[in-house]
Amino acid sequence: MTVVSAFLVPGTPLPLLRPDNPPWAPLVAGYQAAGEALRASNPDVLLVYSTQWIAVLDELWQTRAHLTGIHVDENWYEYGDLPFDMQSDVELAEACVAGCKEIGVSAKTVDYDGFPIDTGTIVMNNFLNGDDARPLAIAANNVYHDGETTARLAAMAVETAKAQGKTVALIAVGGLSGTIFRTEIDIAEDHIADATDEEWNREMLRLMESASIEHLKQRAGDYAKAAKVDMGFKHLSWILGGLGDNFDGATVHAYGPVYGSGAAVVEFRPA
Amino acid sequence: MADGEILAGFLAPHPPHLVYGENPPQNEPKSQGGWEQLRWAYERARKSLNDLKPDVLLVHSPHWITQLGHHFLGVPTLSGKSVDPIFPNLFRYDFKLDVDVELAEACCAAAADAGLVAKMMRNPRFRVDYGTITTLHMMRPQWDIPVVGLSANNSPYYLTTEEGLEEMDVLGRATRKAIEQTGRRAVLLASNTLCHYHFHEEPDPPEDMSREHPHDYAGYQWDMRMIDLMRRGETREVFRLLPQFIDEAFAEVKSGAFTWMFAAMGYPEIPGELHGYGTVIGTGNAVMEWNLAKAREVGRAA
Repeated sequence: MTVVSAFLVPGTPLPLLRPDNPPWAPLVAGYQAAGEALRASNPDVLLVYSTQWIAVLDELWQTRAHLTGIHVDENWYEYGDLPFDMQSDVELAEACVAGCKEIGVSAKTVDYDGFPIDTGTIVMNNFLNGDDARPLAIAANNVYHDGETTARLAAMAVETAKAQGKTVALIAVGGLSGTIFRTEIDIAEDHIADATDEEWNREMLRLMESASIEHLKQRAGDYAKAAKVDMGFKHLSWILGGLGDNFDGATVHAYGPVYGSGAAVVEFRPA
Repeated sequence: MADGEILAGFLAPHPPHLVYGENPPQNEPKSQGGWEQLRWAYERARKSLNDLKPDVLLVHSPHWITQLGHHFLGVPTLSGKSVDPIFPNLFRYDFKLDVDVELAEACCAAAADAGLVAKMMRNPRFRVDYGTITTLHMMRPQWDIPVVGLSANNSPYYLTTEEGLEEMDVLGRATRKAIEQTGRRAVLLASNTLCHYHFHEEPDPPEDMSREHPHDYAGYQWDMRMIDLMRRGETREVFRLLPQFIDEAFAEVKSGAFTWMFAAMGYPEIPGELHGYGTVIGTGNAVMEWNLAKAREVGRAA
């Protein structure tokens, strides 16, 4: 089995920067549980798609061997800095660029000193990829790609890893409902900003838990529109494409608010 | 201190290709040129800016996107290497800029007084966005004039275009008030492209100008219609058409810089000077100037 574990996780930095804030603490605990599950699955590489790494012209793949530095989020800079230290699986990422071309998607490598790594990838790596840090193959979110293309990219990447004899943890970094508070709040009182968003989030999480895959796919588009979901919920397509539209169920390790928006840590059980 | 004034506003778009084409020492990638007509347009704008001798440049950039309110750079000096996340092959630029923190704080306070959520960015390790840096380089490559950097709150995308631009109008009026109260002689820079439809593949080399042209005729026609109105000083008509222009030409002015600048200037019905127009991977870019100082002189003489 190539995909040994799969996770959908939020990319907001707030739980990482304020782990003791009561409404965000469950997300921290969920992230920690997911990290333990990831380590137990013992993947060779983390195959990552983050909604916050925006691409426009091509599908970009990170091929800088060592990524290190201090990142400051453009929205939440007042809460602190985000140090990062990551290794790339350059061999896999380069093969994915070639694989993109084979499925008709224009793609490029990114190997530049000082390239701005997105907040979501850094947050995920800090939470999930601990002391025994494993290499990552990171794909950008091309804003012109739809869910179907995103799913094909993930499937291609998994096949490429398989051809290299590698096992992967499939990781999609992105949020749920996108309604946010547009004025300052007491973060200790944070909650999902919109009651309808709350219903939608919970329905989608139930569909994930029960592995109602066809229903999940049917509802995803309406959910994305109704609840202003981060990047049209393309991160779910990454998971489904990488799992071949097949999983046995999911565990929602955490669900909660982040400045009114929805966030969840979900672990999928590959079939 | 009082009696500050806005000397001029410039529409000053930020394709990093223009920096790449110019080959300044700060930018690591080197080119064989390209996009000359736009770069020469900026040369004319630079001369005009030099003559104005402002105390400060204020730039509103669509690539510092904020969700919670309108933010202002608030650290006296910011420096680093700016790598464009979209075009890292073209733009890897070493920058250092001085911020007019006093004016930024006054703008922030005025925006808050006007009912907006407004915040000062105080983190010294903050990475200044490439839109701000490109616009500032193209306008003033000497980097010897202090800066106030404003974020683009995502309200035009999160709310309706009209609701979002209403916020930018309030922000612009607040900016003007702060400039007047602090006694600054200021120039405003709206870092916006016009028609924003673009090609999805980059030529090899990127500066191959035989491949550069408007993405589509309808977008080009929209750009010319709007520029013509601006050149004739028909500002009311420009803003009447703006939402339609944004919808039909996917115009980047949706992000708010253009409205912020005109609101700060009081929507003057004066002809804008077109320094030049050109496309970058198909997008429409105009470098334009509204010289309020000159208009005041003419008004006094008349």
